[in-house]
Amino acid sequence: MEAALVVEGVTKRYGAFTAVDDLSFTLGAGKILGFLGPNGAGKTTTVRMILGLVAPTAGRVTVLGEADPARVRDRIGFLPEERGLYRRMSPVRAIAFLASLKGLSTAEGRRRARELLAAQGMAEYADKPIRSLSKGLAQKVQILSTLAHRPGLVILDEPFSGLDPANQQALEELIRDIAARGATVIFSTHVMQHAERLCDQVLLMARGRKVFDGTVEAARAAAPRTLLLEGKFQASDLADLPGVADLSAETIESDAIRVNAALIAGAPAQDTLREAFARGLDIRRFELREPHLHDAFLVLTGGGTLQQ
Amino acid sequence: MIRLLRIARREYLAYVRTPGFWLSLLLLPVGLSTIVIAPMVMQRSAPTPRIAIVDFTGEGLAKVLNSALTVRADGDKPQAVIVTAPDAPYASPADAEKRLAPYLAGRRLLPSGARLDAVAVLRPAGDTVAVDFWSRTIANGGVEQTVGAAVEGAIRRDRLRSLGLDPNTLARVESLSPVVSLFSPQAITGKVSLEDRLPGFAGLAMGMLLWMVVLTGAGMLLNSVMEEKTSRIIEVLLSSASVPEIMGGKILGVACVTGTILAFWMSIAGVVIALRSPSLAGEVIGVFMSHARWAYFALYFVGGYLMFATLYVTIGAFCETTREAQTLLGPMMIVMSVPPLFMSQAIAHPDAPLLRSLTWVPLFTPFMMAARAASNPPLWEILGTAAMMFAVTGFELWVAVPAFKSGALATGRFDIRVFFASLVRRGAP
Repeated sequence: MEAALVVEGVTKRYGAFTAVDDLSFTLGAGKILGFLGPNGAGKTTTVRMILGLVAPTAGRVTVLGEADPARVRDRIGFLPEERGLYRRMSPVRAIAFLASLKGLSTAEGRRRARELLAAQGMAEYADKPIRSLSKGLAQKVQILSTLAHRPGLVILDEPFSGLDPANQQALEELIRDIAARGATVIFSTHVMQHAERLCDQVLLMARGRKVFDGTVEAARAAAPRTLLLEGKFQASDLADLPGVADLSAETIESDAIRVNAALIAGAPAQDTLREAFARGLDIRRFELREPHLHDAFLVLTGGGTLQQ
Repeated sequence: MIRLLRIARREYLAYVRTPGFWLSLLLLPVGLSTIVIAPMVMQRSAPTPRIAIVDFTGEGLAKVLNSALTVRADGDKPQAVIVTAPDAPYASPADAEKRLAPYLAGRRLLPSGARLDAVAVLRPAGDTVAVDFWSRTIANGGVEQTVGAAVEGAIRRDRLRSLGLDPNTLARVESLSPVVSLFSPQAITGKVSLEDRLPGFAGLAMGMLLWMVVLTGAGMLLNSVMEEKTSRIIEVLLSSASVPEIMGGKILGVACVTGTILAFWMSIAGVVIALRSPSLAGEVIGVFMSHARWAYFALYFVGGYLMFATLYVTIGAFCETTREAQTLLGPMMIVMSVPPLFMSQAIAHPDAPLLRSLTWVPLFTPFMMAARAASNPPLWEILGTAAMMFAVTGFELWVAVPAFKSGALATGRFDIRVFFASLVRRGAP
């Protein structure tokens, strides 16, 4: 598989502060990477190094086969966080202008802008000032402005923030379309469901260091499966059940409790359940919960809160 | 290069499409026209004051005043209308003033129903004549000066006649005035003419124009960069173009905007001058073409604009609000207030030691050298000051390119220590 992005031993220091520490990962062409991490994890600095806006203190970044990202910036699309656009310009003019900086002629940029806007059901807004559009529509315009020049690598910083559920769904489809035509997508998000649904690969960072790099499934495996039990018994009755690593309990009625039993990795849940019933405990409800990316995030980042 | 031009084009069109641009375009011609036309309109539309003359001298001065106030050589309307003093005759000047006071105060009207605006009471005062001028308002459009001058001339002629001077000789003496001519080795024909003075005015005009362009262009550049930083568009631009392309595009775009405004203003001025005085228009063109002054002005115009524009673009990259920008612009505005103080002096003393010294301060060079154009500064001075100006601009660019990126990518409140630190270490990100 050809790599669209190779980050090798990259470190970035600002004086005594290390923003990114010895980061390495590879991303294949046409793949979707979810870039996850709490605030201050080093995501923005890493993105800036990939874009060539900031030079690494050590290490090397190879983007689309080039060691100097500036040489391939015409093939990169970038959507920054806290985004905005030229408010007095129309969507067509704004998209065409940004595409023209990526090497397209203004006429071709306008043609593609109209094409993209029409595909997103925004043809009627094509020539209206951006300041007259709703926040959601304006955000869609900016997302489209990263795509008009048909980049090989698309970097989207928090692309879902500010969008309503319908537009989030539309954006997910758009990201899949981008990858389907062979482009590579990197996006950062703090909504784990988007990453779970979209990503071929997730990269978790905390305090400037990589804490996980792999598939969503592999990330989930880092978090324990949980056996939920509800009924009239004591939490201590479950403490020595086979396969149980940890317990947390809460009272749900005057005489009933709910217990979340974290299972040891690889331990069969049916053995734990069988032993619980064998002890004659009054269990009214049980459920085996597979871990989500959110659980993995908390485990891998040491219980850190999600960004923002 | 193509990106630079595209950024410049967007910058230009963004301003040209705003109402502010059209206001700027029309404001100066409309403002200047108003300044010139308004006083003329006001003067023509103002009612002619009615004045009564009470003459106790017995020298027939009322007739002299009538002629002085009502007959205008230029065909304009009379300065005043002479009316018969109401309630005449009067026993004494004091009596006249007492009885005419109600008319001046508006408590009584003339028989025609109009108001009386002024009274000139002429009375003997030893060997001469005293004029007591009473006016309804404090400002009376210079009528009292006309009255004073007319009386002065009349009594001088009378006294000279009484000394035996015949009227023809008197008329000849009064028409005598010296013919003063100014000569200078620097004048084209030796005798100083308007053509010789024009370079001084042209230099001052070019210096002031550059000063205005720098001020207006600076505001545009600051706002443009601040807007893009606040909306984070600057990050998208940085991921699409190099810093020199972004800075150059912005500076060129705003230069085209100010250039358009200047060209419009100068065209209007040119048309007005050509219509009013074709010979003057020819002389103005001659001033710019002789001594390669057009190149001289272009050199300092371009150099000065680049020097300040680079500075302001860099400042804008560090600011997200106008208040933050003002923190940095305050000292700059103090510096910028110095050149106009000295530029006007360059017309009279273009080679004064202080002005020549200020010329060598790079921030003042473009303004002072433009203002000193009339003295045709020596080549070594032109080359030396231009070299210093461009060296400073080059140094600015060397520092500003990385500092611009550092400022554009920085978030949070503006910190003046961070700003200067990034300049010192060339903004190394």
